[in-house]
Amino acid sequence: MSDSAYAPEGRAEEEPLLSVDNLQTAFFTDKETIRAVDGVSFDIRAGESVGIVGESGSGKSVTARSIMGLIDSPGRVVGGSIQYKGQELVGNSEKEWQRMRGGEIAMVFQDPLSSLNPVYTVGNQIKESLRLHQGMRGREATEKAIQLLEDVGIPDAPRRIKEYPHQFSGGMRQRAVIAVALACDPDLLICDEPTTALDVTIQAQILDLLHELKDEHDLGIMFITHDMGVIAEVSDRVNVMYAGEVVESAPVEELFNNPKHPYTQGLLESIPSRNERGSALTTIEGEVPTPNEPATYCRFAPRCPKAFDDCEQVHPVPVEVDDETDDHEAACLLYPDDVGQTEAVELHQSREDATEQEVTE
Amino acid sequence: MSRWTYFAKRLVLSIPVIIFGTSLTFFIIYAGPIDPVTSILGMGATSEQIQNLEQQLGLNQPLWEQYFQYMVDMFTFSLGESWVIRPDVAANEVILSYAPRTVLMGALAVILPLFVGIPLGFYAGLRPNTLGDYTASFTGIVWRAMPNFWLAVIMLMVLSSSEYWLFGFNWETWIVSTNVAGTPEMDNLLQPLNFIAAVKVVLPGALVLGSASMGNEMRIGRTAFLEAKNSNYVEMARAKGVPGRSIVWKHIFRNALIPLIPVITAEAGVLVGGSVLIESVFGINGIGWLFFNAMARGDLPLAVAMMYLIILLIVGLNILQDFLYTIVDPRVGFEGE
Repeated sequence: MSDSAYAPEGRAEEEPLLSVDNLQTAFFTDKETIRAVDGVSFDIRAGESVGIVGESGSGKSVTARSIMGLIDSPGRVVGGSIQYKGQELVGNSEKEWQRMRGGEIAMVFQDPLSSLNPVYTVGNQIKESLRLHQGMRGREATEKAIQLLEDVGIPDAPRRIKEYPHQFSGGMRQRAVIAVALACDPDLLICDEPTTALDVTIQAQILDLLHELKDEHDLGIMFITHDMGVIAEVSDRVNVMYAGEVVESAPVEELFNNPKHPYTQGLLESIPSRNERGSALTTIEGEVPTPNEPATYCRFAPRCPKAFDDCEQVHPVPVEVDDETDDHEAACLLYPDDVGQTEAVELHQSREDATEQEVTE
Repeated sequence: MSRWTYFAKRLVLSIPVIIFGTSLTFFIIYAGPIDPVTSILGMGATSEQIQNLEQQLGLNQPLWEQYFQYMVDMFTFSLGESWVIRPDVAANEVILSYAPRTVLMGALAVILPLFVGIPLGFYAGLRPNTLGDYTASFTGIVWRAMPNFWLAVIMLMVLSSSEYWLFGFNWETWIVSTNVAGTPEMDNLLQPLNFIAAVKVVLPGALVLGSASMGNEMRIGRTAFLEAKNSNYVEMARAKGVPGRSIVWKHIFRNALIPLIPVITAEAGVLVGGSVLIESVFGINGIGWLFFNAMARGDLPLAVAMMYLIILLIVGLNILQDFLYTIVDPRVGFEGE
């Protein structure tokens, strides 16, 4: 298959770079089965940045690790498909995963302080990527590594390359982690809360850097965060996750201007800067439940201000929010907006989905 | 401060440690309750004999003069002559005639745990919560929990009637014929058969001596490998497509060694003390036996010389530890900005 099919022109028509369909990842413990990712679907195209947002424990990181094939026992991908450039990844052997990891899909991790190996120089770790994925060695690799460090905005790169991670500051380490990922020359970059551990000014710099790199290398980016402000900054499209499910999915502006799912509305109301000074911040009471049984009801219902009786009985599936807006889906019994309440509930009821089935080891 | 500056600093700091340790040894032994004159002459000695001997041995000098003389002697390695155990023979000669057995046993007692305990811990740590891990961990705990003296006696018992306990396997005639316990012959070790015979005699003692270390190193090794395996940098290495073998040997192994280094060198230090006990159970006439007798029979120069050598050995082990640290961990000597 040729790479040109995934070229940037014509966003909507072209094949997606990554297509996740009804992905289910579960962790099997003696006590219970935790359905950490429960029927998640989304697409990422080349040159597009897709944000995944949600509270801690909503399954964002597990989604990312499923795509990388990094789910370890007792966890396992139990259903759905992950297609990368049309190729199925679920069920890959470890050898096949190794070929995908880095060179095709690379990942930037949450904690730059512990993501770099403390006993090897930064240069060594960048050169390891270069050797594995671009076959560069020796002088050539060193020069490329220096160039990569300069690309991610580390000054004095020829000296820095010989230094160890502990000699770098937090922001520099995250830049180094990004350089390691770029050295693999990936087409898709998964960023798992890359700015959470950094202070705000550094955060903005890293986001700008990712933005530049996306345009330069035509990367597809999957950006995971719990920070709505960061999402607004970086992504073209947003998926809101709650308890292992995508509850709302829309282009970034549409989502911020016109949030439909009560959970998304709650999230947006709890951003400090969006609210008037002096008024108390709104919070969403309670916490994310552990999804340890098939969803035959709405998992957000106990915390939802708009919940009604059917929410306990019917599992909502993603539907278009109304007829006028396309490309905006919400998994909530209140939608579609333009049909009556009972009709909407019936629509959700009629679509049986995988999340309502038992998963077994 | 660079790593090597740090190492040089540790090297210089070991000098006052040696001086302090040697001084302490002097005051404990010469100013302590041991009366060498009585033990040389026996209870029935006349006061004239005692005075003569004291003068001869230099014990009638003021303590501070003896101290300075002693310090100069030690640092120039003139270790004096034995008084009691082998009268008028140079102390270093006496020590040298006993040392090889202990060195052989000690070396085995360090090496066996190193090459059994750490690989076992490695194995268990990389496969946590599997049958292999449970077996290795359980064996490690049992091995760790058996007291030295008890294990020594059991080992003697089993090996001396090995045909009965070990399904017809005869330890005493295996490869070369040797006694189960006793003093190994240390001449002509370059000849393979002599070497094997000597190793065979000290092996039970070495096993017992190293048993606790083996269990320790296994347990700590398991934790260290497990911790490194679950670390973020290993996940990141996997995410960039590093093959499994290279993850284990490049990314896990070196990090897991860091907590193991002080354990290994500390165990080696403990062995020096443990060898006294084991040598007496197995009848190996080595340094441990010699030291105990020198102390008990008032052979002060010999005891002091051995203490001094042991101090040097322990300080040397610590320097070795710092050296290994400096090589393995680049964060050594880093004090932040």
